[in-house]
Amino acid sequence: MKLTGFRIQNFRSIIDTGWTYLSPDNITGLIGQNESGKTSILEALNSFYTGTISEDILRSDLSLPCVHCIFEIVKVDVEKELNEKILPGGVIDEIKKKEIIFLKRSWAEDITSHIELAEDEILKIYKRFYDKREKEEINIRERIEEAINEHDNAVRTAEKAFFEKEEKHQELEAAREKITQMQKKIKSIKDDKSKEVIKDNLTGAKKYLEECRNNHVAAGKDAEIKVSEARKLSENADLARKSIQAKKKFLINKKELENSYKELQKCQRIFDISYNEKERRASRTQLDSSNETYVRILREYERSKEDAIRKKMVAFKVLSGNSIDEVLNEVKKEKPHIDKYYSLEEAGRKLFNYVPEFIFFEDFLSLLPDRIDLHDIHTENTNIEGYKAARSFLLVSGLDEDFFQQTNNRILKQKIEKLNKEITINFQDYWRQSIGKHNKIKINFELEHYDNTNPDKSGLPYIEFWIKDREERLYPKQRSRGVRWFLSFYLELQAAALAKNGNDIVILIDEPGVSLHARAQEDVLKVFDNIKEKVQIIYTTHSPHLIDLNKLYRLLAVQRAVEEDELSETKIFDAKSLTTASTDTLSPIYSLMGIRLSEQKFIQKKNNIILEDITTFYYMKALTDMKSFEKQVFYLPATGVSNISSLVNMLLGWGIDFLVLTGANKEGDDLKHDLTKHLFANNEDQANKKLIQLDHFKSIEDMFSTIDFKKYILHKRIGIPESNSEYISSNNLSRSILASNFMREVKDSKLKWGDLDEETRDNFSHLFNELNKRLE
Amino acid sequence: MKSFASLILIHFFVYCDLSKFKKSTIFMSQDNKLYQKLLKQKDEISRQKKEIIESLEYARLIQTALLPQLSSIRKSLHNNFILYLPKDIISGDFYWISEQEENILFAAVDCTGHGVPGALMSILGITSLNEIVSEADNHKANRILNQLREKIMKSLHQTGRGGESKDGMDIAFCIYNRKTKELQYSGANNPLYYIRQNILYEIKPDKMPIGVSGIEEKSFKNNVVKMKKGDVLYIFTDGFPDQFGGPKEKKFKYKPFKNLLLEIHKKNMKEQKGILESSFSDWKMDFEQVDDVLVIGVRID
Repeated sequence: MKLTGFRIQNFRSIIDTGWTYLSPDNITGLIGQNESGKTSILEALNSFYTGTISEDILRSDLSLPCVHCIFEIVKVDVEKELNEKILPGGVIDEIKKKEIIFLKRSWAEDITSHIELAEDEILKIYKRFYDKREKEEINIRERIEEAINEHDNAVRTAEKAFFEKEEKHQELEAAREKITQMQKKIKSIKDDKSKEVIKDNLTGAKKYLEECRNNHVAAGKDAEIKVSEARKLSENADLARKSIQAKKKFLINKKELENSYKELQKCQRIFDISYNEKERRASRTQLDSSNETYVRILREYERSKEDAIRKKMVAFKVLSGNSIDEVLNEVKKEKPHIDKYYSLEEAGRKLFNYVPEFIFFEDFLSLLPDRIDLHDIHTENTNIEGYKAARSFLLVSGLDEDFFQQTNNRILKQKIEKLNKEITINFQDYWRQSIGKHNKIKINFELEHYDNTNPDKSGLPYIEFWIKDREERLYPKQRSRGVRWFLSFYLELQAAALAKNGNDIVILIDEPGVSLHARAQEDVLKVFDNIKEKVQIIYTTHSPHLIDLNKLYRLLAVQRAVEEDELSETKIFDAKSLTTASTDTLSPIYSLMGIRLSEQKFIQKKNNIILEDITTFYYMKALTDMKSFEKQVFYLPATGVSNISSLVNMLLGWGIDFLVLTGANKEGDDLKHDLTKHLFANNEDQANKKLIQLDHFKSIEDMFSTIDFKKYILHKRIGIPESNSEYISSNNLSRSILASNFMREVKDSKLKWGDLDEETRDNFSHLFNELNKRLE
Repeated sequence: MKSFASLILIHFFVYCDLSKFKKSTIFMSQDNKLYQKLLKQKDEISRQKKEIIESLEYARLIQTALLPQLSSIRKSLHNNFILYLPKDIISGDFYWISEQEENILFAAVDCTGHGVPGALMSILGITSLNEIVSEADNHKANRILNQLREKIMKSLHQTGRGGESKDGMDIAFCIYNRKTKELQYSGANNPLYYIRQNILYEIKPDKMPIGVSGIEEKSFKNNVVKMKKGDVLYIFTDGFPDQFGGPKEKKFKYKPFKNLLLEIHKKNMKEQKGILESSFSDWKMDFEQVDDVLVIGVRID
């Protein structure tokens, strides 16, 4: 996948960069003053990849950092890769349609982080999905709680009925007792009158007893019904309670898992920053133990999660009227549905595996040493001076351990000699500095063995490096720091490109070549250009020599919102809005233009043509070359029509002859009117000799037929009924990038005048005829 | 005993008859139900058909209203005929004409498909052509076709990738300058014939449609011919030459079509139209018409 853009929030001086897009040709330069936030951008991108940040990254307002990256999907079948679970409906279609993915890494207060899939449309789909699921969950939860409540109520009612039955029983017993007492009394009393009274009372008591018996029977029946009702509900309630208990267990496991993950991350960080072998071993043990714990808890968590979901499903289905046997069978077959879907985080983590590797070069501290032991290379002893540079050298040279296993010393020497030649040639393609005309430096290495002067290492092999200058052979340390820096830089970049051998590395470089001579800095750009097909490069610079004036679309200008205030937030201006950046921020570009101006390459005494912008410059320059225009012309791009007046005045002041070419639009009309009035004292004839407006074309792109515009500029087959300039504007495309790419194709001789169709040729021929009439 | 046996027999026959009667009554009532159901379905289909035909008739009215009026065609191209035989009620072929000062722009167009899909495309074609011509003043036949293709590609979201609509149109497009007698012709799959002094000349079209195709878009060719008084030019769609029929049940084909035009070109335009129509009908016989038919003939004054 290819990194195409980013957005950084709450990272050191950055509050929110907004969406920022990288140069499509894989080289992006960040220019800006010191403390503008350029390095923070590189650090943020690096942190996106590594997931690690330090405490000092956090802003004082406690807002937490977050880095979004956009990746163009290249060579990855997202649908195939995300095949273990499913994504909510519409997510894959959205990704396929846009052919990009957005990943976001956010940090928590304890500086742990997580990565997730993020993009407005995808987030909307997920929100709808979660809302629906939440509604279902609420429904299930309510049904489960209702079942428990129903059962509780039934139990309470049954208890009440049971107590009532008991009461009736006691009443019955009391009535019986009373009758027995009465009967005993009747037997014991001799007085007939009194006997009769008691007998009357006994009749009443018997009636009451009958009443009590009936009441007791009725209460008994009622209690039986209520108990049976409660019993019926108890099965459902039991399922519901089990489901709630399972969920509680799952939540406890979840909490444990989170704590364990934090611990694991902490151990990982300690391991990552361990300096030496001893520290690494100690932290490794801790990391392994913590990993083991995490895996154990994870398994427990997964089990409890599945159990909770299963029990919930069983309870809900039974409560919805299905028979328990059927439900159990069904649930056994079916996997709990929550596991079927990727969460944003899971999908993000999965896709993160396919993003390019980000490599941050803060400085090329590892300079090529004079010698290094083979043993240190093989054991990866990174503490040895120059280890990294030596390792890169071996990788770029194509040398591995086997190479040095060659027992025949003569063959080995021959091989080394051959390799020395190759690596020198490659290096010389980029390093143009020389002392004298033909005196270019060469790099050599040799395999040697320690002699008796080093008794500890006697007989052990080591590699010795040489930087040769004509006949003089010097150790790297005997050369200037600039040469050593460039060499290490060249080796490391080449090694990184080789190691991955694909377009899946993003190299972040802070201030490359600060100690280099201007020309050597331009060589750095050449190295970038050489490896840009294999890797993406994002670098910061102050140097005009690390900017290609013909490729300004590569630049992002970085500055503080309030220029004088170093505490104000960082802002980024892309190629389309470069002109809105401050003069100080753009100073490398202006310096570069100044340098070129002093070289007098594009202004001459005669035949200068002022163009409205760099886009027009690219097209006119390309078309002039294609047409092999018979006259020599010198195009001067202004930075917008509004700046042409001052340029005209300047050239007049210097006594330089010129023509002005503008589009047939309002700005062009206004300029013509203004210049005619102020420069040519309202003499239209004179003005018309100097001012040319494109024949009914608002913008230079409109001079291309739609077919050529699509084929050679857009490289897209799509219906464009509107004008080319309207299409560019409505699709928010960068005019300068399109124009610059077009010019590059022409320069690479891929495109000839005859390739253009008759309409484009007619339009430009007409313009060149007009120019021809006016030029000397 | 005998009487008892005969009584049983009588009972048996009566019972059998009765059961037969019962069965036939049941069948009759079932048949009747089925019949009623079929009748209902038939009525429903008839009602739907009527509605569809009414809609199509109305669509034809709209399509006819969008086509140029014959009177205005006669005003621009004095001596002409248009043979227009749609296969269905509405057509995927259409003719188009516009007059811009001394230039007369006219075209015979064949949209993908016939019937409703063809007609929908034809409406897109007519409105697009009207828009293009009204927006530009300096007309070139090939540039109009280039622009038309852009509009169609944009409208149908065509990008040349697989799995998308490949709909479009074939066209023979002319711009005739009355003053200079210069004729510009540009064609997408449909040629131009003109007959001068008994010789038929053919200007071949570009082999690409108005719309996306397998090859990347390139500009249509602009052909310019200086016409002479008495020249007769013909533009048409493939409906006539592609019609099956005749004794061998084969296509009419282009060579016989050319010969037919050579035979009749000296006759007045009304007669030519009549001969073409009857020749088509004779060739077609009882075969179904394969596609919409459109032939435009113009005699240069």
